[in-house]
Amino acid sequence: MSRRATGYALATLAVSMLLTSGAFAAGLSFSAQALTPYRTCVLSGTPATTTAVTDASVRQGSATSNFGTQTTNDVASGASANRRLYLRFDLTQCSPAIASSAVIRLATLRMYVTVLPAACRTVDIFRVTATWTEAAITWNNQPFGTTINTPASGSATDTYNAGTPAGCENLTANSYVTGAVVTADVGAFVAGTATNFGWMLRDDVEGSSTLRTQTYTAKELATANQAPQLVITYVSVP
Amino acid sequence: MVRPRSTILAIIAPLAAATAFAASLSFAPGSLGADQEAVSRCTAAGLGVIQNVSGTTAISVTVSSLPSACGGAALQVTVNNQVTSSSGSATVPAGGGSVTVTLGVPVAITASEQVDLLLTGP
Repeated sequence: MSRRATGYALATLAVSMLLTSGAFAAGLSFSAQALTPYRTCVLSGTPATTTAVTDASVRQGSATSNFGTQTTNDVASGASANRRLYLRFDLTQCSPAIASSAVIRLATLRMYVTVLPAACRTVDIFRVTATWTEAAITWNNQPFGTTINTPASGSATDTYNAGTPAGCENLTANSYVTGAVVTADVGAFVAGTATNFGWMLRDDVEGSSTLRTQTYTAKELATANQAPQLVITYVSVP
Repeated sequence: MVRPRSTILAIIAPLAAATAFAASLSFAPGSLGADQEAVSRCTAAGLGVIQNVSGTTAISVTVSSLPSACGGAALQVTVNNQVTSSSGSATVPAGGGSVTVTLGVPVAITASEQVDLLLTGP
């Protein structure tokens, strides 16, 4: 090999090593880029036979009848015609399971409303504190008892309003209602500080002289894009 | 023409320097992973997650309530129903808000789905 060739070879090697060392250094650098991971469990009332969701409405006007197999559930306010909606989501069916140490960032009930009242009505969401079953619950044996406007509105987990008048929070029929936030309750269920008996939804002012009815799709309709849902967004490491 | 020895040395010198540079970057195996680095997050708030359903399958996911601090971040969404896993990604708008991520393949709606979100950056 000539001296010239040797010189070029060495020069090439030197440059190559310089580039390599630079790349090596770059490969060892750590960026300060933020990483924000969330995990969400979506429980849906589909198929109709699922045990992940239990839903039934109770009717004051048919106080001893069970409506657990109906394809719709009502929340209504009327003279001796009030209706309440009970529903429960089985959190143990989240896969992977939500660890008891998880921090629940947001939990929302998603109910598909098909009929809205002509007046904007407030709906209260209460955490149920006693057991009930879809096949046996009636107005007369419901966990919260038969006295209307009980429990008091102030003890509700959250409220939303629904009705066709402009300005109402949920004024479009055939859509999921928004604003039903149950984060604290789900956090208590996951942490084990409260037992999951689900929720009861009732009109904020029962006993209206004019019947005001909201109708929601039940899991029994077996329609995936209308099924009741509970969406839980959480982080495993706060 | 014969290249002078000084030229050869000029070439070898950086070579030595490069070697020294590389050596200074070496890490003892025990020091890697022995520490924990705090990873910053663009938000700790609750994010709204809605699966957009067509028929009986989720075709996209809308993530809402994204704060402006997450503007410009890359959002990756993965939906898993224990049978099918599908992902998609999008960039969070500069001002935050909401973004809809289309899934690579539709995922059948079942009683329980897992939706993983990963915001990288900004």
